[in-house]
Amino acid sequence: MLSTRVIACLDVHNGRTVKGINFVNLQDAGDPAEQARIYSKVGADEICFLDITATNEKRRAMFDVISKTAELCFVPLTVGGGVKNVSDFRDLLNCGADKVSINSSAVYNPQLIKQTSDKFGNQCVVLAVDAIDNINMVSGYEVTTHGGRNKTDIDVIDWVKKGVKNGAGEILLTSMSADGTKKGYNLNLTKLVSENVSVPVIASGGAGHPQDMVDVVLKAGASAVLAASIFHFGIYSISSVKKEMANNGIHIRDCE
Amino acid sequence: MKLVIIDYGSGNLKSVENAFQNSVKDNNLNFNIEVTSELKTIINSDLIILPGVGAFPDCKEGLKKNQGLTEMLIDQVIVKYKPFLGICVGMQLMAEYSLEKSNTRGFGWFKGSIEKINNVGKDYLGRNYKIPHMGWNNLEISEKKHPILKNITEKEQFYFVHSYYLNTKEKSEVYASTNYSHKIPAVIAKDNYVGVQFHPEKSSYSGQKIISNWLNWKM
Repeated sequence: MLSTRVIACLDVHNGRTVKGINFVNLQDAGDPAEQARIYSKVGADEICFLDITATNEKRRAMFDVISKTAELCFVPLTVGGGVKNVSDFRDLLNCGADKVSINSSAVYNPQLIKQTSDKFGNQCVVLAVDAIDNINMVSGYEVTTHGGRNKTDIDVIDWVKKGVKNGAGEILLTSMSADGTKKGYNLNLTKLVSENVSVPVIASGGAGHPQDMVDVVLKAGASAVLAASIFHFGIYSISSVKKEMANNGIHIRDCE
Repeated sequence: MKLVIIDYGSGNLKSVENAFQNSVKDNNLNFNIEVTSELKTIINSDLIILPGVGAFPDCKEGLKKNQGLTEMLIDQVIVKYKPFLGICVGMQLMAEYSLEKSNTRGFGWFKGSIEKINNVGKDYLGRNYKIPHMGWNNLEISEKKHPILKNITEKEQFYFVHSYYLNTKEKSEVYASTNYSHKIPAVIAKDNYVGVQFHPEKSSYSGQKIISNWLNWKM
């Protein structure tokens, strides 16, 4: 039986791990490669690096972080942030990333999803969507770019459907209004997206308690759950999250 | 011993190389691992790994582009009898043909075809079966145990990511299967060649066990 994945996300800035409340007031929480190694040891099913400031700044430091991580860490590694074209995408894969997530640049260049999935296969193309609540949208949710700073006037549901049609193999769905609040995932948004696409949906943004993971799987049908801060600062461990999920009948991979 | 990982333009091979290097180091084995597309290096090797990600026809095209590679592989594996491991699409290439995108011929070493996962119905939590089958899944191991499954239990999980599977015509060649909407062959083997649908290089400790079992396999 397929396990529901628990993904540890490391937001990286200049080669260091950070996680801030609603993407401001960044706090340093360590070396990404070392953290990834520890996470994979304690049972993270996947590691996700998001170079959060990469759209605006240089991100060469990331390549070393990925290479170092891929040498130590034998679980899938997703990397995203600032991927603008096929060549950025290829560079990240060549460093050792298994999947690459595309966010802002997919909005400005919708062909990028198609180009990369044609070239590298849809299994490694993750469409990252940062959604905000907007009652003027049919679905009630609007796509934003640049870490939530820019609005796009694109409806989230139209966008994910188009992304999957163009070859995205997975959706990494972040609710910008829930992100950093630790008040739980956006269940309505996750459910809506999950029901409208054929590919797996990773729920992101808002996890504050293991019960939040349980809820987004049972009530919103998420294929995987992603969290950063609650793991980072040792509020809850990956095994305590998995234990809570297992207690609620969700099949997980046992932590070694 | 010389081990080659065949580079035919199918994605990043770094993780395969890293995982095998790690296993060699951890088990004090004497293997020289090389990622290569050169026919000469492959001919001089003792063991061969064919990785593969992406779509079947693209992988087939990649193999074709390297002139003589397919014929040489057939000679090395079928005639020279070298240990061979196909991973994911590398496993699927050993089937007779694939229906992914178009109808593409494989090596035909395993009877059966590569077909789309039939994702009907809902899972145990009422969720739709998403495609690709992506994530960690356990194995159902056949009674007749293959050496690469030594010390592997049915509780252990492996990382899968695929939308197509081998619809086998020869059930005796399946040594382990997994379940996602229906039964899917996960480990197939015959003589000196083995195919795994999952990614041992991404399957943590359990994947490392599969890798060391394969490296230690005395045919």
